[in-house]
Amino acid sequence: MVQIKQLLVPVALTALIAAGCTKPPSEKIEAAEQAVKDAQQSGAGTYTAEEYAKLEGTLDALKKEVSEQDGKFALFRDYGKVEQLAASTAAEGQRVKTEVAKKKEEAKAGALQAQQVAQEAVASTLKLVARAPVGKDRAAVEGIKNDAEALKASLNQVQLAIDKEDYPAAQTQAKAINDKSRAVSDEIESALAKIGKGKSSPSRKH
Amino acid sequence: MGINRAKIAGSICVLLVTGCVPAVPPDLIAAIDAIDHDLISIGAPQAAPEEYAYFTRQWVSLKARVEADDDLIRWPWESNEIEKELRRLHSEGGTTVARLNDRQAAQRRMAESTLARLEARFLSMASHVQSINGRVALGEKPVQTDLLLKQARSFLEQRDYARSIQIAEQASQALQIQTTALRRELGRYADDRQVGHWQAMVKQTVDWSRTHQSTAIVVSKADRELIVYKGGRKVLSYPVRLGFNGIREKRFQGDGATPEGRYRVTEARGAGQTQFYRALVLDYPNAEDRRRFRLAKQSGKIASAKEIGGQIEIHGVENELMAQTLGCVMLANPHMAELFARVSSGTPVTIVGALTGRNSIALALAELADRTDET
Repeated sequence: MVQIKQLLVPVALTALIAAGCTKPPSEKIEAAEQAVKDAQQSGAGTYTAEEYAKLEGTLDALKKEVSEQDGKFALFRDYGKVEQLAASTAAEGQRVKTEVAKKKEEAKAGALQAQQVAQEAVASTLKLVARAPVGKDRAAVEGIKNDAEALKASLNQVQLAIDKEDYPAAQTQAKAINDKSRAVSDEIESALAKIGKGKSSPSRKH
Repeated sequence: MGINRAKIAGSICVLLVTGCVPAVPPDLIAAIDAIDHDLISIGAPQAAPEEYAYFTRQWVSLKARVEADDDLIRWPWESNEIEKELRRLHSEGGTTVARLNDRQAAQRRMAESTLARLEARFLSMASHVQSINGRVALGEKPVQTDLLLKQARSFLEQRDYARSIQIAEQASQALQIQTTALRRELGRYADDRQVGHWQAMVKQTVDWSRTHQSTAIVVSKADRELIVYKGGRKVLSYPVRLGFNGIREKRFQGDGATPEGRYRVTEARGAGQTQFYRALVLDYPNAEDRRRFRLAKQSGKIASAKEIGGQIEIHGVENELMAQTLGCVMLANPHMAELFARVSSGTPVTIVGALTGRNSIALALAELADRTDET
């Protein structure tokens, strides 16, 4: 009996120590949290909103599981599922971040292309304005000169949006400038066609 | 007896095994998955991130539990908590989809109506500004507003209603600024005191015509009309064109504005003496113009390098295809021929902003103000 007791005590102590040592995989949990944070900072909420929400959901499930296990008696704690969730969250976070970078690059390319088209349209409009004659004849295009100058100035807004990485705004702004620029060019062409039929007058005081 | 016991034990085992049912009906999982897809297709992750995150957190958590082996089967007598939670999520998810659909439809209607109203207001303003020749007075503002409206339309087409409404609000503010700028520039046309002053100038001119039984000319910039008085009576009137900035008050050379004041014809230029068919040269700048110009320069309202300008005339058209002048008063050549025949050097010419308070510019400003109040 004494022998059995002598055998049980160390076994029980070992089991107790082993169980007491069962701790949540803090590093893995932190890595998972960091992966979600990184994804969020990369713009996942904007570019992959659905996947980001699911990622947050997984992190939430992970935290719930941790607190559930923490609430159990030490001997019954099992962080196996936590480890599994932490690993999948970290991997998914990384994947989302890569996906965001890809989508961002696509959006940026779209915005830059729209910006270039708008710049060319405005340059062409300004060239037309420069062709307008001076002196008395300039009156016909005086009003639309303002429009051309406003279009030129608004190109800065597109660049500002690109700098802020707000590519949807940059793209819609550039498209608006392009459309308006073409309309102004048509108007100038029409005014120039009218003026072209007459002759220029010398500039005088007024 | 032994066989009976074995049979009973076997039956119990079969009963227990067949009594084990899946923890969750597969069609329930599929139904929640469908709700998730519905939420994604209506753009919930972008349009309602908090609500979608709330749904997703629960869905991901429950899915993880369903996928865990220990939750997959249950004994018939066990209460099925996970199924209850999934059914609750299914119900909540369905409600969320319905709510977001309604909200989105309302947002779409709001974005569409806001934009349509603003576009109509912008077009109306452009048309009014065009009709009163006030385009230059607004500078770059109309283009900025137009660009915002186009941008809002793009976001609407992309079903980004929140952003469309946000940009439309900016356009609304820009329109408000335009209306204010127009009122600041042209408000004097609706100012009783200013109109009274113009009316007094016209009355003096008409009185002079009556007293001297002679010809006098009055030009109304708002109505773009030249009126000829003889013996104090209106005998003729002609439509006129002004400079590209004609409705504004003339401030300096090259501003395209037509001066306001009491002038006289200093020279009548016939055929071959002017490039504009016939011309009546006015004594702009007169003493009053010079005094105003000097004061404006002294107060810094006009840059010191600016000149006062001159050569303001009533003239015909050099080229019929060009409908504008730089600050003079332009008449169609047949009208100019009639006028030229009636006028000689010394004829008084009074140029005023408007003859009455109900002039075209004051009416346009009032209508624009009404539209602003409506929106």
